[in-house]
Amino acid sequence: MITQEKYRTTVKELLANGTIKMAIGYRPGSTSDRRRPLFIRTSEEADQLVLDSTCITNLSGYLVAEGLLSDEKRVGIFLRPEGIRSINILAAEYQLNVDQIVIFGFDSTGREVRPLQGQTTSDFSALLSEIRENPPLTTKEPLLERIEKMNAKERFDFWQQEFSRCIKCYACRQACPMCYCRRCIVDSNQPQWVNTSSHTLGNFEWNVVRAFHLSGRCVQCGNCDRACPVNIPLRFINQRMAKEVVDGFDHFAGLSPTQEPVLASFKKDDTETFIL
Amino acid sequence: MTRILFSDKLDNCVAKWRSAGLTVIGPVQGESLSSYATVEKGTDLHLGMVLPDRSLKELFFPQTEPMLRYTIKKNEIETADFTPPSAQRIIFGARPCDASGLAIDDPLFGWDYKDEYWFQRRNESVIVTIACTKADDFCLCTSLKLAPDSTKGTDVLLRPLDKNRGWLVEELTDRGREAFAIISEYLQESSETALPTVEVPEKFNLDACVAWLQNPENFDSKFWKEISMRCIGCASCTYLCPTCHCFDIQDEGDTYSGIRRKNWDSCSFALFTMHTSGHNPRSTQSARWRQRIMHKFNYFPGKFSVNSCSGCGRCSRQCPVDMGITETLQEISKL
Repeated sequence: MITQEKYRTTVKELLANGTIKMAIGYRPGSTSDRRRPLFIRTSEEADQLVLDSTCITNLSGYLVAEGLLSDEKRVGIFLRPEGIRSINILAAEYQLNVDQIVIFGFDSTGREVRPLQGQTTSDFSALLSEIRENPPLTTKEPLLERIEKMNAKERFDFWQQEFSRCIKCYACRQACPMCYCRRCIVDSNQPQWVNTSSHTLGNFEWNVVRAFHLSGRCVQCGNCDRACPVNIPLRFINQRMAKEVVDGFDHFAGLSPTQEPVLASFKKDDTETFIL
Repeated sequence: MTRILFSDKLDNCVAKWRSAGLTVIGPVQGESLSSYATVEKGTDLHLGMVLPDRSLKELFFPQTEPMLRYTIKKNEIETADFTPPSAQRIIFGARPCDASGLAIDDPLFGWDYKDEYWFQRRNESVIVTIACTKADDFCLCTSLKLAPDSTKGTDVLLRPLDKNRGWLVEELTDRGREAFAIISEYLQESSETALPTVEVPEKFNLDACVAWLQNPENFDSKFWKEISMRCIGCASCTYLCPTCHCFDIQDEGDTYSGIRRKNWDSCSFALFTMHTSGHNPRSTQSARWRQRIMHKFNYFPGKFSVNSCSGCGRCSRQCPVDMGITETLQEISKL
């Protein structure tokens, strides 16, 4: 509650003195355990701000939607550490200018929410390095352990079964801060490069495209997984791809706004194990 | 006197319907998702849930469906039609909102061109609906002038007895009577009364909302931008909706042969109205959300005299950013 009150006051001050034109945060949702994205432009709207452990959604995608930053004014945004990493990646991929972003950082342990010190991404570089070295403990997921034990055939069958539920609503794409392409490959229809059908092949095509495109860019915020209306455990795909990128290229995405994107850069000492 | 179907006879009924050649379909809780699916035994049915995650629509209008196979030859194009495999079906345990959704879409699919895929499946299906004795925070049938025991789109309505013992049977159509004649040996005469249906509070004044939507001045209202600012533009709401019916026709194949398919499409997508020139008349997410609401509560009823919403609440229940029809119409009610 203290953190929430403190941030309400900060947002009001920064709006009043013209530092930011808007802050993006959370407000109560339609049930007690839900939170909705909130766009704060006035003091009254700031009073709707909620900050607690149920504020999970990574809001950074809104920064690059429909030209929010095109007037070069500053926008404040509430972010957990993985959201700050998203901002760094978006900056590294030239999608936004970090000088336009005022970060209201927060994190939570259990039900306790606490502020993170700093306002610009560089203020958090020590924190992000620390997270890289000592990733926060996550609860064991029995399904993940099951998948890790599968051989290639079993894994293929498992994912085929999971993807069979896919309806190609693209909620995973739309919820992802990294899926900012003006025209996604699956929407490129002159000609239609990827089938639009959500049959077995089509669902595989989409999910494989998505997995590869997010490799080395995903911060595992879980937006895609939570957005999926048919409950495909997408987080496991992204976690695994992130691990491959760390193991293969020593690349932990989102450490700084100038970090080179791993799949868009070349290093002489890259391992070549993937070249057949 | 009415007739009762006791729960402990459900296995017998399913077996009887199956031996009569009917495919039996009903709500099933999968490992991570619930939907209407084919069952082999009565005990495979999960009749206790508020409603399945996925709607009944997809059993009549699947997410992807082959229409024809084409082969382009030197001087001619050969085509072969696909038709849905013929299967007499009984859907046991539909919810009134899902059954209503089918009836709402009937005029749409039969308006100028009679969609044979839809109507073949409609004609081959008996809808046995169970009245609702529980609801969740997202149910809104009563706000749409429907009810937890609406009979729209239903062939037989079942009203639950206490302690999950069974249901009072109300046969509403000839198709329903025929299906229940097959299992008549398992029905008992009784004077029991059914449980009351669940109270679903009205969430907005529909007439007031519709009047606001019909006022042309409100088409360009600032309201649309405000209400949809957080919409991320996925199709979760439209694809889970029991009445959203838009589709796209696509040819899949190479230069010489392929399959023409009918796939779900959504007004939430920017691509939905993108012209070949690159111009998009609905270039913003707010214009697309406005279209969805206008279509359901203004244009569709203008043409077919019925709202294109049956109040299942899936749009709000599943929305990644907690939007939905309920919030939008509640906010319109306040304007």
